[in-house]
Amino acid sequence: MAMKIGEKPFKERVSDGIGDLFMRGAVSSAQGRFRSGRLNAAEELGNWEDWRKLGEEIRTHTIENLDYYLELLSENVTKRGGHVFFAETAEEANEYITNVVKKNNGKKVVKSKSMVTEEINMNEALENAGCEVIESDLGEWILQVDDHDPPSHIVTPALHKNKEQIRDVFRDKLGYDKTEKPEELALFAREKLREEFLQADIGITGCNFAIAESGTISLVTNEGNARMVTTIPKTQITVMGMERIVPTWEEMEVLVSLLTRAAVGQKLTSYITALTGPKQVGEVDGPEEFHLVIVDNGRSKILGTAFQSILHCIRCAACINVCPVYRHVGGHSYGSIYPGPVGAVLTPLLGGYDEYKELPYASTLCAACTEACPVKIPLHEHLLRHRQGIVEKEGKAPVFENISMKAFSMGTASPSMYNIGSRLAPKALGAFVKDDKISDGPGPLKNWTEIRDFPAPKKDRFRDLYKKRKKERGE
Amino acid sequence: MKVSLFVTCLIDIFQTDVGLDTVELLERLGCEVDFPEMQTCCGQPAYNSGYVDKAKESMKHMINVFEHSEYVVTPSGSCGTMFREYPHVFKGDPVWEPRAQKLADKTYELTQFIVDVLGVEDVGAKLNGKATYHTSCHMTRLLGVKEAPMKLLNKVDGLEMKPLPHNYNCCGFGGTFSVKMSEISEQMVDEKVQSVEDSGAEILVGADCGCLMNIGGRIDRKGKPIKVMHIASVLNSR
Amino acid sequence: MMAAGQVYNRNSFLDNLAKNLGRERRHQVERPEWDHNPQWGVLKGATQDELVEVLKKQCLLIHTDVHETVSSELPALITHLIKEYGGKSVVTWDDPRFEEFGLSGLPKELNEEEIAVRVWDQEGGEENLAFSATADIGITFSDATLAESGTVVLFSDKGKGRAVSLLPVIYFAIIPKSTIVPRMTQVAKHIHNKVENGELVPSCVNFISGPSNSADIEMNLIVGVHGPVRATYIIVDDK
Repeated sequence: MAMKIGEKPFKERVSDGIGDLFMRGAVSSAQGRFRSGRLNAAEELGNWEDWRKLGEEIRTHTIENLDYYLELLSENVTKRGGHVFFAETAEEANEYITNVVKKNNGKKVVKSKSMVTEEINMNEALENAGCEVIESDLGEWILQVDDHDPPSHIVTPALHKNKEQIRDVFRDKLGYDKTEKPEELALFAREKLREEFLQADIGITGCNFAIAESGTISLVTNEGNARMVTTIPKTQITVMGMERIVPTWEEMEVLVSLLTRAAVGQKLTSYITALTGPKQVGEVDGPEEFHLVIVDNGRSKILGTAFQSILHCIRCAACINVCPVYRHVGGHSYGSIYPGPVGAVLTPLLGGYDEYKELPYASTLCAACTEACPVKIPLHEHLLRHRQGIVEKEGKAPVFENISMKAFSMGTASPSMYNIGSRLAPKALGAFVKDDKISDGPGPLKNWTEIRDFPAPKKDRFRDLYKKRKKERGE
Repeated sequence: MKVSLFVTCLIDIFQTDVGLDTVELLERLGCEVDFPEMQTCCGQPAYNSGYVDKAKESMKHMINVFEHSEYVVTPSGSCGTMFREYPHVFKGDPVWEPRAQKLADKTYELTQFIVDVLGVEDVGAKLNGKATYHTSCHMTRLLGVKEAPMKLLNKVDGLEMKPLPHNYNCCGFGGTFSVKMSEISEQMVDEKVQSVEDSGAEILVGADCGCLMNIGGRIDRKGKPIKVMHIASVLNSR
Repeated sequence: MMAAGQVYNRNSFLDNLAKNLGRERRHQVERPEWDHNPQWGVLKGATQDELVEVLKKQCLLIHTDVHETVSSELPALITHLIKEYGGKSVVTWDDPRFEEFGLSGLPKELNEEEIAVRVWDQEGGEENLAFSATADIGITFSDATLAESGTVVLFSDKGKGRAVSLLPVIYFAIIPKSTIVPRMTQVAKHIHNKVENGELVPSCVNFISGPSNSADIEMNLIVGVHGPVRATYIIVDDK
């Protein structure tokens, strides 16, 4: 699975999403729970705004000095005996990872959750090289068992599936014979995956925050699978997007506090695991070999642009969890493993406007995302910026829209044109008015009136009435 | 106090009563209201569609129109937000940024002006019924006006305010979003109409004509017995 | 000290970043003083007893049992808890604190009750893992404890295997009261200071808050996924 998911055009994906009532019910109730969890966690602290400002300060400083901190990180990883590969492209990353696996004669790879490995399509590369790759995050594993159903959320990837569907997948693919109770499903996964962990020779993880000062990578999880992946296999490979880094342990701590609260309303998740290099001499468990793969894959193009702050994202999904558009269309509608507001900003930057030009318009600019972001990324402003780019730089706007915006500009920059235009409105729309409203409008208005009534323009505008009033009062 | 009314194009063309109510209300509160006739639109439709250069033409015009006003008051949270955004749009422009800043600094949404500048919470209005209030997104999240409308509405004689469930949800208007992404917009406005019904209110009050046109248009289409009113009209009821 | 690792493609990669950032590569950057530092205000000035109360309250939220005891009662309490949970096999760290807290007789005592005990053995290699994977209970001390989040912090080391707190079905953490601090801030600072002093960071630092869990199925909280299904904290007054 690469970043792109599905082949259907945007409008069809949206219609599919809107038609999937189960998915929408699941997403809606999940959003409700995420929302109250996040708000409670923020309220408990009392000064959430100060925390957000600190998060923003840290992310801004780190990304502005990304070259420095990545160099420091790599120095410190190697001091501890780990290897570091800087990959500019997905292909370079996959080639290196595949080679490490081959060199270690790896057959069975267990993975913990990682968005960047999805983005670079790593599983497929490893499978093509003859390896078995097993996802161990419960949600990811469910999707993998279900013939690689794409994730629809960056924190809870199987959010779109209900427990009955999951039971059926387990039954059909793995011979599961118990009920749809979540506890029973999870116990089944525990037992199945326990065997895999004990046999695996390679463990692959993502990375929440790498700590430059000590060459440490940290993993934020609840299930314990990332600990399994980094405790049992002899070789560990960690793949990180190049922006997932902090200067020191002190900043890691702050960002983890923001992440767990914003993502799931927890003070901390069950496990925060901070790993430095391979195991030390005399230690029994942990990997003997450690590789860190730092991935660019299009991110560096964002540096130095007005979109730079999207690289501050800590992947908490708070923006997704408050987005009303996401609630109704679901994650798959975005056509990318990165859905919701962050996806609508990031996906076109990584994947281009040709493929993703609709995404920046899939927002009312209600700014719920911006308000929820724990590191204060102005997400709705980035969406606007995309629209500007699409219109002005790329010239990809529809012709009709272009003409009407030209007319708008003429009509509003000049009072005489506005005067004529607004006076003409009642006449132009007169034929469509019935009972002081329009129920079947022409042109672009049709999209409006298919759903709602449109008010008839008044014969006398406010400015006419105001003038009349003034005259009547002898002013 | 001298106040220049920025009436907004939606009110000028479609909701003329709201404009008149705003004038009467402000006058009743002791303001001297003028209406600069050269005003057009704040430029938001073009700006939010990505036509920033074209929007700037309208913006410059509006900066000129209100250059000499003492206060600019508008019965729309969203259009007021747009004025407040002007300095950001003209950032780095040595001529227009400072002028935009001056306009932003003296612009107020109507309820914000009444509560924060005039210091009034009871405007002496009287209206019987059960009402609920739609907190529009730009007004609450971007302009930061959260308390003022409720303070005013709670003092309206005879009006029983009902909480609106999920009031933080967007109504699905979003300007051109409502026609560009009409299928999604429909789901959002339906959800909002449902919340309004669930509140038990007979009157839906809002401070933004765009949202009200959207929710009201859907309420009409579905034939729901809910009246939609702009807050200026509520506060001008006697 | 082990051999240093290799780095590949670094210069071209980082040169490109610097270029896009519109400047030369930076080789020296001062970490700024942050304008906001709310993390230090959390539970500021709380006494050790107050922190214990915060910890206990948080444990209710994270499905973790808490027991309080004094040093002299600790061995009896642990034996009692192992039996109460029906533990038939127990794995513990090889950690001098077991002796300090009077627990060195525990293996023998439990063996007499037909409960198998394994103390992590750095010479024992894979056998440690095999035993832990089927053990009922794993027991470690806490190296630092965070009141706010109900977290025990474990620093891995030769005798302190990662698997002890991970593979068994039930996990016991013994928390000397003196290890309790307000939150993660204090521990992060402590480790940061070690780094500044040129000391080695443990290869694995685990911040553990209760049993493993998941909300991946319809957002229902499931306690016990890959890690322990139950967690119990034993706070011991070590004054």
